Amino acid sequence: MKILVCMKQVPQKDAPLKLNESATWVREDIGYEVNEPDAYALEEALRQKEKNGGEVVVVTAGPARSQQVLREALAKGADRAIHLEDDRFVTLDAFNVARAIAQSIKDELFDLVFTGLQSDDFGYAQTGVLLAELLGWPHATIIMQIEAKDGGIRVKRELEGGYFQYVNMPLPSVLTIQSGINKLRYATLIGIKQAKNKPLRRVTFDEVSAALKPNQLTIERLYIPQKTKQTEVIQGPPQDVAKKLAAKLRDELRVF
Amino acid sequence: MIFRTPLEGIDHPQMEADVVIVGGGPAGLACALRLSQLIDAHNAERPDAQLSKENICLLEKAREIGQHCLSGALFDPRSMNELLPEWRKEAPIEAEVISDSLYFLSKNRAFKAPITPPPMKDHGNYVISINRFVKWLGKKVEEAGITIFTGFAGSELLFEDDHVTGVRTDDKGVDKSNQPKANFEPGYDLKSKVTILAEGTRGSLTKQLTEKFGLTQDRNPMTYGVGVKELWELPPGRIKPGEVIYTMGYPLTTKEYGGAWIYGCKDNTVSLGFVTGLDYPDPRTDPQHVLQSFKQHPFVTKLLDGGKIIRYGAKTMPYGGWWSIPPLGGNGWMIVGDSAGFLNSQRLKGIHLAIKSGMLAAETAFEALVAGNSSVKQLGKFQQKVDASWIKQELYPVRNFHQGFERGFIAGMLNTVLLMVTGGNGLLNRYPSHPGYERMLPLWDIMGYPPERQQLIGWAKGDKKLTFDKLTDLYYSGTGHEEDQPAHLIIQDTDICTNRCTKEYGNPCQFFCPANVYEMEDIPEEPGKKRIRLNPSNCVHCKTCDIMDPYQIITWVPPEGGGGPGYEGM
Repeated sequence: MKILVCMKQVPQKDAPLKLNESATWVREDIGYEVNEPDAYALEEALRQKEKNGGEVVVVTAGPARSQQVLREALAKGADRAIHLEDDRFVTLDAFNVARAIAQSIKDELFDLVFTGLQSDDFGYAQTGVLLAELLGWPHATIIMQIEAKDGGIRVKRELEGGYFQYVNMPLPSVLTIQSGINKLRYATLIGIKQAKNKPLRRVTFDEVSAALKPNQLTIERLYIPQKTKQTEVIQGPPQDVAKKLAAKLRDELRVF
Repeated sequence: MIFRTPLEGIDHPQMEADVVIVGGGPAGLACALRLSQLIDAHNAERPDAQLSKENICLLEKAREIGQHCLSGALFDPRSMNELLPEWRKEAPIEAEVISDSLYFLSKNRAFKAPITPPPMKDHGNYVISINRFVKWLGKKVEEAGITIFTGFAGSELLFEDDHVTGVRTDDKGVDKSNQPKANFEPGYDLKSKVTILAEGTRGSLTKQLTEKFGLTQDRNPMTYGVGVKELWELPPGRIKPGEVIYTMGYPLTTKEYGGAWIYGCKDNTVSLGFVTGLDYPDPRTDPQHVLQSFKQHPFVTKLLDGGKIIRYGAKTMPYGGWWSIPPLGGNGWMIVGDSAGFLNSQRLKGIHLAIKSGMLAAETAFEALVAGNSSVKQLGKFQQKVDASWIKQELYPVRNFHQGFERGFIAGMLNTVLLMVTGGNGLLNRYPSHPGYERMLPLWDIMGYPPERQQLIGWAKGDKKLTFDKLTDLYYSGTGHEEDQPAHLIIQDTDICTNRCTKEYGNPCQFFCPANVYEMEDIPEEPGKKRIRLNPSNCVHCKTCDIMDPYQIITWVPPEGGGGPGYEGM
C-alpha cells in the first residue's frame, strides 16, 4: 500500500502564546511540535506498511521550520517527504491547504491518504475531508482501527457515547486518524542518520498557486480569553447553606 | 518512590562514531563547527587521505536545539570572530551594548556607582538571546554536514579499562516503575574514538567521569551560582535595546553572594535575572524568591510597571574559576564549556569561553583523528592549547576572585581590590575554596540571624502581576516531560530527608529548587513526620539540587530525551 500522510507543525502545547501585531495569529518565537493526531496517523501508516508492504510518504505545508516534522517522520521510517515550503501556507484556510496538497501530488498514485483528525492550533478538522473531495475519493473520519480486507479496507470509526461504527471502504480513500489509535514509536539514532539520505521534494508556492482560490475563511481577531472568576461564599448553618445553594443552582444557574 | 536506574539484561544496539559531542550548547556546537572546518580544509589539501564527517555525532537532550539554553546574555564576540568572522551579518543579535551601569541597592534606594568597574564594562559586547543564537549556530552545524541528534541524552559513559570508549544514550519508553513499555527503545551504545563532554554545568556524564578518575584531586572544589531569569515585555520606551544594568545588594544581605542583571533587548523586551551564589548559609534561602523581591524594589518596579512576563527559567553556572577547572583531556575524553568551568565570574561571562574551549577541543580531536590515536597523549594536548590561548590569559588573573567572597560581601570587595593591584595574586597565588553546600548552616545556627531576611527565605507568594509564586513562574518556562517515567532525581537515601534533614536543615530542597520539584508531605501513618515527594516533570534541568543538597545524596540524571524546559527567546 502506498500511503500519503499529511502532517502539520503546530505551536507546542502549553507554549505561552503572544499575539502578532494585527492580532490575527500568534507570534513566531515559540516552540513548535508535530500536531498530535498527525503523529498517530504517521504511526498507523508505518504499521500498515510493516504489515502489508508499500511506501509511506509524508507531506507538510508551511515555512522552513516545519521541515522538522518531515525529518522526524523520515527518522521514524517514512520513505520520502514533500515539503510545500513557504511562509504563506500558514495564511491559507483549510480548503486552500487541501488544494495545495492535492496539486502537489497530482502526478502520484496513492492507495490511502491519512491525515490527523484535526490540528491542535486551528482545529478545523476539514483539511482531510476537503482533500478527499478534491481527489474525488471517499473518506472516513475519526478512525480508530484499519485492516486490509478483500482488496479494500475495513475501518473502525469512533462515534459518540462509546459507540463505534465499522465501515468497509474501497481504495483509494482518505482517512482522518484519531489520537490514541496506536502507541507512538521513538525515532532511533540509526533512523535519524538514515533519514538524511532520504528524498525530500520541495514544492514552491508558485507551483501550486494556480490551484488556489481566495480564502473563504479569514481570522478577524484573536484574543486571549479573559478569565473572570466570581466567588461567592454562602455562610450560615449547613441546612440553610444547602437550601440557598440549591436555590441558586435552580434559579440563577439553571443547572437543574 | 522509584528512580531511573539502568535496566538489566537489555541489548543495546551499537553505532560506530569517530567523535561524539554530548550537548548542543555554545561549546558543543562550536566544537562541531570547528571540527567540520578543519576536516574541510584537510580534505581540500589531501585528496589522498579524506576524512569523513559522517561519523561525527552531536547529542542534545532537548527536543530542539536551544530549548535548554538559558543565559542573560551578554556576549563577548572574541571567539565568534575567530570561528565565523562574518557571524554578525547573520546571527540573531538583540542589540549592541550602548551603556552600562552598576547600582547598589539598599532596601528602598538605589545608588549608582560613579564609574562602572572595568570588568563590568561591556562596550563592544552584544545582548543576545542564547536560545536564538544557539538555534542559529545549530543550523550552521547541520549545514556543514554534521548530524545533530536532538532528543537524545547521554545517560552513561562507556569504558574499557581506563579509556572512555563512547556514550550510551537514554533508554526511551520506560514507565514509572522503571519497566519497559510497549514502545520501549533501548539506548544506543555509541562507540566513539573521541568523546567530548559539553553538557553544561554539572554534567551528569562529567560527574561520572570525575568520580571514576578522581578529577577533582589537587583542584579547588567547584563553586556555583544559580541564575533565575524572567523575560518581560514592557510598554515602549522603558529601556533602550543594549542598555545594561547590574545591581548588587538588596534583596541579598552581606551573608550571600550574588547580584542582578537587567538587559534591554529588542521589541520592548527586557531580560532580568538574579544570580544567587550556591554557598549561602541560610538553608531557607529561595533563589526564586530573591528574584521576586528584587522586582519589588522601587528601582525595578518602576521599570516593569505595566509590563508582562513572557518567560521564566533557571540555570546554574560554575564560579570556581581557574583553580577549579578539572584536567581537560584523557584517554578518549575531553571536557569543554560550563562542564569544565570555563566562566569568568568577575565579568559574569562564559559563552565566549565555552565557544573557545569547544574550538580548541575540536582542534585536539582533529589531530587525534589524523594521528589515529585518542589516548591521553593526544587528547591531553587540549590542556596545553588552553594554557597557550587567551582563555588562560583571561582566567588566570582572576583566579582568586570568587574565593574572596567566602567570608562575605565586604571581604570579597576588599579582596577584589587587592587582586587588582597585585595582578591576581593577592596574598597567596592560590586561594583555597570550599564546596558551597558545606557553608550551609543547620537551623539552630541561624536562629540568631537578624530578622530582616523575609525577602529571601521561604516561598514567594506572588501577586500574579509583578511577582509570582514558583508554580506560576514555572508555567512560563515551557517545561514538559513524558509523565510516565521513573524519577530522574535520584535520592540515595530518602530516610535522611525524613529523619535528619527535616530537623537539621529544614529540607532546603523545597526552597533552592526553582521549579518546585521537591515537596515535603505528611506521612499519614506517622503523624508529625514528613517525607519527600518529587514532581520530576517540573524539572528545568538546572542541577541546583545536585549541587546544593547538604548531604550530597541527590544525583541528577537525564530524563527521557526530549523532555525539559522550552526556553524560546531566553
